[in-house]
Formats: sequence, C-alpha cells, structure tokens
Amino acid sequence: MEIPYTVKPRPDTGLYNGKLGIWLFLASEVMLFGALFSSYVLLRVGAEDGTWSMGLMNITVGAGNTMVLIASSMFVVLAWAELKQGNLAGYKKWKWATIACAVLFLVVKWSYEWPQKFKHYDVWLNDAKLLHEKFEKGYQETVSHAEGGDHANDHGDAATGDVQKFVEAFYTKRFFKETSDASQTAFKQEWANGTLAISGHINAYQEAQINVEVTGWNADAGASEADADRALVELGVSVEEAAEDLRKKGGLIKERIDYDWAKRAEYLLGQAGFKVTLSVAGYEKVEAHPWFWRTPRVNEDIGGNPRVRSIVLGLDHTHHHDEIEIETRHISRLSAYEPKHSTFFGIYYTITGLHAAHVFGGIIVMLYNMLPIGLSLWHKDRERFTNRIETFGLFWHFVDLVWIFLFPILYIL
Amino acid sequence: MGDSHDSPDFLQYLIRLFYMVGGVLVAGTLITVLIDVLFTFSLPMAALIGLVIALVKAGFVVAIFMHYKWDKKLIMITWTMVLTFIFFAGMMGLIMWAEGDIPRLGRAEVPTFWVVAAALLGVALPAAFTLLTIKLLSQPAPVEVAAPRAKRVAKRKKTD
Repeated sequence: MEIPYTVKPRPDTGLYNGKLGIWLFLASEVMLFGALFSSYVLLRVGAEDGTWSMGLMNITVGAGNTMVLIASSMFVVLAWAELKQGNLAGYKKWKWATIACAVLFLVVKWSYEWPQKFKHYDVWLNDAKLLHEKFEKGYQETVSHAEGGDHANDHGDAATGDVQKFVEAFYTKRFFKETSDASQTAFKQEWANGTLAISGHINAYQEAQINVEVTGWNADAGASEADADRALVELGVSVEEAAEDLRKKGGLIKERIDYDWAKRAEYLLGQAGFKVTLSVAGYEKVEAHPWFWRTPRVNEDIGGNPRVRSIVLGLDHTHHHDEIEIETRHISRLSAYEPKHSTFFGIYYTITGLHAAHVFGGIIVMLYNMLPIGLSLWHKDRERFTNRIETFGLFWHFVDLVWIFLFPILYIL
Repeated sequence: MGDSHDSPDFLQYLIRLFYMVGGVLVAGTLITVLIDVLFTFSLPMAALIGLVIALVKAGFVVAIFMHYKWDKKLIMITWTMVLTFIFFAGMMGLIMWAEGDIPRLGRAEVPTFWVVAAALLGVALPAAFTLLTIKLLSQPAPVEVAAPRAKRVAKRKKTD
C-alpha cells in the first residue's frame, strides 16, 4: 500500500501534511514537558528551606552542553538549506556535524555528568558530636590553609579559622545561594541536631572477609545425600574425605572469602539441607570508588558484624580532598547522588533523562537519513526528502528548545 | 515555508539569518552564566531573569530556525499553544498563590491582590478559551476542495 503524500502545501491548511503532523506532535510534546516543568516548579517552590540542593550542578558542563546543542540546532537547519539548493554533499557535511554534536551531548551527560553523581555521596551520621568531630578533622587543615592567605577568599568565612563557619559557607551555597536570616536559622538548627550531611567520594572501604561454616545436615529437609555432595562439589570442596564428616559433625567450608561467594555458598548449601553460618573473620581494605551505594549495602548484617566496617571519604571543599574514615555503625544514611537521594535528584533525572531520550531518538533518525536506505528517497523524490529533513529539523529544534529552558531551571535556580 | 520563499536569494538571506541566530543563542547562554556567576539574586529574581533570557532564545529558535516567521498558516496551532500556555500559567498561579500552604515567595501572608487576580484569571481563562475556540471554528470553510483527495478518487476508479 502506498501512503498518499503531498509535497506541496495543501490549500486548506497552507502546509504540507508532514509539517502539519510534526507541529501537532510538537504540540503534544509541549504538553508532556509542560507537565514535568510545572511539577518541577511546584516542587521547587514548595520545598522546605534547606532541602533543595541547587548548588550541586556543574554550570560549566551545563553551559558547554547548551552550546553543543545550539550548534547542532544551527547545523541541522543549514543541512536543510543545502538540500533546498540541491546540494547533497553539503547536506551530508552539516548532518554529520549535527550528529557529532548530538553524540557529544550524550557522551558528556552519560559518561561524565551522571556517573560523577553516581559516585558522589552524602553521608548522614547518627550523632551530632561525632559529626562535629569529623568536620573538625576533615576541614581543620583546609581552614588553617585558608588562613595562610593564599586561599583566603575561597570560602568566605573560612579565614576566621572556625570550622563551623566554614561548613556554614558551603551549606549556604548549596541550599540558599546567599546568606540570609533563613539560611542562618536553618544552619544553626542542622548543626545543633547533627542532621548535616558530609559530602564526598568514597575512596576506600573496609570490606568483610567471611568464613562459611556448616553446623549440621538435616536429612528430613528433602535433599538427599547425593544432593548434598553435589552442592559441595559445586563449591569446590573435595567430597571423598570431607562429605561424610561435614554432614555429621559440620565444619569450615571456606575461610576469608568475599561476600558474593559466601552468599552463593549459603544459598546452595541451604538448598542441599545444610545448616549454614556466615561469620566475619576480618576486614580487608579495598581501594575503589563504588557506585550507587546505599545504607543497606554498607551495614548489611553478617553474623552480627557489618558487611562494610568503615568507609574512607574524600571530602568536598578541601584542597586535597582530605580523607576521613567513618565507621558504618555511625552512619544513619548514605546515598549517592542518584534519583533516590532527594526530590531534587528525582525530578532532575526524570526531566534530563526524558530529554536525553529525545536526543537519542533524534540521532537514530539522523543516521537513518544518512544511510543509503534513507537517502534513496532523495534520488526518487528530492522535494519530499527535503521536506522530511525539514520536519526532522523542527523536532530537533524543539529538543533544543526544551534544553534552553532546562538549563536555567536546573543549573541556575 | 511558502513557495514564494524558495528563491536562491531568499535562501542565502536565510542562511545568514541562521548564523546570526546561532550567535544570539550562544550570547544568551553566556549572559545567563555570567549573571549567575557575577551576581546573587533572590530566587524569584533569578527565575525571572533566567526565564526571560530563555524565552528570548526560544523566540529566535521558533521564529527563525523553525521558520515560524514565514509559516503564517500555522495560526490554528499557535492559538492552541498560546491558550494552553496561558491556561497552564493560570493554573500554576492558582496553586502558587494559594494561601494555605506555600508562604515561600518571600512573604508570610499573600496580599489580597494576588488572590483576587488569581480568581479572576481562573474565570477569565476558560471564558477566553471558549470564545476563541468558537471564533476559530466559525471561520468560513475553504472554498477550494483539497487537490490530493480528488486525485486519489480518480486513481481508485482506474483500478476498478
């Protein structure tokens, strides 16, 4: 079946059908993004003082990405202008430039901007006194450094040498932008209650080494002796000597093993009728920057001990990302800058994610229009192909438009 | 874009415009960033400045890049968009100026003016929407019959 297509504007609408269609589509897109924008505004306006982390965005990256999208928007319309002049080579040149910009935008967002956030943590402690101790320890050097004169103006009040003032300076910057009565009241309250978060990157942590032990075997559990042997073999335990003993008297299966192995062994042995106990034999320091950690991940209970004993946090706002060690039993909450962190990040990832999905879709359509299968239309019906590129351009400008509004809202406000 | 605008001269003029608009957009972004870095405004002020610049940029994109300036026939869609926007703004206003729960625009109590204005807007908007819809729908139908449809009918006859 051939879909009837008109290249010329229809007399009643004054547009060719494709263009009318894309404008109607864009109208519905306006509704979609409008709903999200209004949600954002209402959440923003309704947020309690000191809960909206507006100072966390990297404006340089945001502005850079805005420029990239603006450039791509210009390239796409230039590509269309070349087609209008019958110049396919020129079209290809500008179209590749557009695709390059779109890919750059997504690469910056998906491999730099977001992952940075997924590795960046807020840690809340359950004791105000301890929190102040940690601040004291973490920022002392930085504050005295600031007194030295070189960096005296970096953090406002830091020069007074008072850690509390220093902490207040970036608390205010993050939640209020400028010092006011409201910011001072909010900070005093948080400082007194110890509800402030310590921000930074996890540079290392003490991870549990686990002993896996069986304490007996239950013949009535529904598993046969063969099943039990099979489970042992699967875990690499030599069956000939040990199986009988393990079933009757129990014994150590594996010493100082990592969490994943221990959990798998616990499951397999449990299925085979063994009674299994996991216990922490010791802790090993792991130097890594873990992603997406949450509170249950670090203080998961293993035989009465936490899975992670302590984390080493490289502090924000210090000159060398000074490190402090925090024991997980003191942590009341730990969260990366992921959607679950707060309302701000929830709506931030929703809106920018939907926008990125539009960019991604645009790249696919552009690639199609660059491949022989898409270009074949140019050789068949030039005007129609030109119109197709124009309607795609309309969509692409819309994506640019959305970002034009997203940038000030998310990065500046 | 209409047929009368397809001449090579006009295209050259358009291309120059495109580069100009690109420059305007870059400048707008730079200004936004500079203002944010150099000054500290209260939230409503920052919102106003940021959004006004964004609106200007958006205006250029729609008018030039999307050649809206020359697509006058898009009037139906324009009205739909404009009215939706006004309706949306009014709706947001009603919520934001509600007295009960958001004393957060820098004042403890909302002045009566805003409440009255919001209420008037709430009445005026649906009324305006209805009136304009009626006006649009009562425009005389185009005299010319659409050409493509006639063609299709002819084709079908041939195959019969």
